[in-house]
Amino acid sequence: MSPASHPLLTLGLLTRRDTEVKLPRSTRVKNKTAAPIQITAEQILREARQRQENHRPPKQKITDSDELADYRLRKRKEFEDVIRRARRNTGTWVKYASWEESQGDLARARSIWERLLDVDYRNPTLWLKYAEMEMRHRFINHARNVWDRAVALLPRVDQLWYKYIHMVEILGDVAAARQIFERWMDWKPDTQGWLSYIKFELRYDEVDRARAIYERLVVCHPRPSYFIKYAKFEAKRREIARARAVYERAIDLNLSEDDVEAEQLFVAFAGFEMWCKETERARCIYRYALDHVPKGRAKDLYHEYDAFEKQYGDTAAMEDAIIVRKRKLKSDDDEEEEEQVRRKPLNYDSLLEAAYIWKKQKLAADI
Amino acid sequence: MEKGRSVHPDCINASNPYHECVEYCFQRIAESNSRAEEDETNDSSKEPEERIVHPDCINASNPYHECSDHCFKRIADLKAQIERNESDKQTVVSVEEERANQVEQNDDNVDSESGQPHLTEKQKKLFELRLKMNEARKANQMAMVAEKKKMEAPTETRGISKQKWLDERKKKIGKLLDSNGLDMSKAYMLDTQEKAEAKYKKWEKDPAPHGWDVFNQKTLYNAHKKRTQNIQCDMEAYNKAKEEDPEFYREASSLQYGKMTKTPEENIDRMVKELQDRDAKRKSFSRRRKFHEEKDIDSINDRNEHFNKKIERAFGKYTLEIKNNLERGTALPD
Repeated sequence: MSPASHPLLTLGLLTRRDTEVKLPRSTRVKNKTAAPIQITAEQILREARQRQENHRPPKQKITDSDELADYRLRKRKEFEDVIRRARRNTGTWVKYASWEESQGDLARARSIWERLLDVDYRNPTLWLKYAEMEMRHRFINHARNVWDRAVALLPRVDQLWYKYIHMVEILGDVAAARQIFERWMDWKPDTQGWLSYIKFELRYDEVDRARAIYERLVVCHPRPSYFIKYAKFEAKRREIARARAVYERAIDLNLSEDDVEAEQLFVAFAGFEMWCKETERARCIYRYALDHVPKGRAKDLYHEYDAFEKQYGDTAAMEDAIIVRKRKLKSDDDEEEEEQVRRKPLNYDSLLEAAYIWKKQKLAADI
Repeated sequence: MEKGRSVHPDCINASNPYHECVEYCFQRIAESNSRAEEDETNDSSKEPEERIVHPDCINASNPYHECSDHCFKRIADLKAQIERNESDKQTVVSVEEERANQVEQNDDNVDSESGQPHLTEKQKKLFELRLKMNEARKANQMAMVAEKKKMEAPTETRGISKQKWLDERKKKIGKLLDSNGLDMSKAYMLDTQEKAEAKYKKWEKDPAPHGWDVFNQKTLYNAHKKRTQNIQCDMEAYNKAKEEDPEFYREASSLQYGKMTKTPEENIDRMVKELQDRDAKRKSFSRRRKFHEEKDIDSINDRNEHFNKKIERAFGKYTLEIKNNLERGTALPD
């Protein structure tokens, strides 16, 4: 106690405390000015982060096999707990399996993968990871089995086929790779699969087999672009007659008028004939194409035809081409009007315009 | 009239609409061509001091110009003119006038004397003084350039930051545009035709897939193509196997499928190595981003920081205004 407030020392005289004016608490004056030192929220956060302690257990070095066994047991228990809680969460499963792999226990890792595939076999990445694990540890036949199962269960996932075949090919077993390709082609996959098969055959210079596969491809996917690819393949090998036959087959497809690729086919065919220096045939093809392809889709065709005539044709033919183009383009507008009318017979404006055009044509015809 | 004149495109007077090339012109062109060939074999970017250049030559400032007979003749004529004008107290003859005079003189005096300057004592002194002046000027300029370079930030040797590179490019383009009197919005006018065509080609390309679409059919196929390009085809082993195996071209249903084949160890090694290469490549798929220390901390934790990053990516551009208002303390009345 301070001497001023000590009862004995002050001898009963009034202390400071007694003489103070005691206002009720609520009326005590509050100083509302800003404190001289301000702090920002960001500063608080920064300090919080700096003072953070690392809540990790201390790093222990494992010295003997007992400790190792303990560590493994503990980890396994953790992992199993997690996957029991969230069975569908593939991430934790994958982590568990990778950890077992890192511990070198492939048998356990395999069992984990199998359990996981029990949960969800439709996820291609799981199959990929499983097979890669086997491959990394040089278990070829295990890997083959895994791939075989994967490809049997998910035949429409191209990536599995790619990687399976790649593995077999890199191991040098080309015949087996071929068999797998055949198996894949039985499923009639997308063109990329076919093309990778063709590339595979060409890698080993098996041109006849590649040709046979191209044949099957165009039977399976009879689209002009694949015919073009086939013809280009033949042309590259200087098989002009075969290439021409392919193009003619393509034209015999009788594509509908709306087909986007019809124009490309004609352009490619004409380009091929020009490359063979057969200008007459090219001209015939251009004329045929211009007759058969609807004008809306034939922009490229006109372009190419013009370029062709400029290069090879005499002035008469060139002017002819230009006139043909202009006329077609002009009648393009008229045709558009007609189309509009056909589509919406109640569209009076376009109806009237079409009528005017018809009248004009009739007058021109009469004259 | 202009179309009919006989002008060699290499003649230096080709730009003169009234000039017609004669024997002397052709001689000169042949000379300059041979000298140009010589120059190509030598180092074409000679030091300025090593060139034979008369300081009075109108092309002296051109770093690749070397004075020839014609230049000396021109200089001599000019000097003669200066002497004539000295009496009239004309101190400066503008360069354009000189040029015009010289060009006219060239047409008339094409067949005159050899053209080496006949210098008197005074003219010699003048010539030397002029030489000194020019050298001083050149040295000054170079010192100026060096100082400017020192004052500006030095170019980073290790990985110029993209921002700086962009700024530099913008400055250069800006200067070029200003010299042509164009605006920044017309920056495309500076492109050559090749550059423009390259740009068009870029536009035509399909945009690269991003996000969830990264592993679509096409990209997987391309990845497979790339991978198979690196396969070494052992043709000898292939042919040997072809001879040995009766069922080399197997059907899908061949019973050879489950049979165990003996694969040589080196093939397995090859496979494992390839896998390891793929793994290493996969690591480079995403890079570690730079940690900006000066950036404000708005998280209490590492997990919080990660979360804030993701949130910022998603909502950053929408909350920017709100954040700015909070920082300022008041909202703007916009």
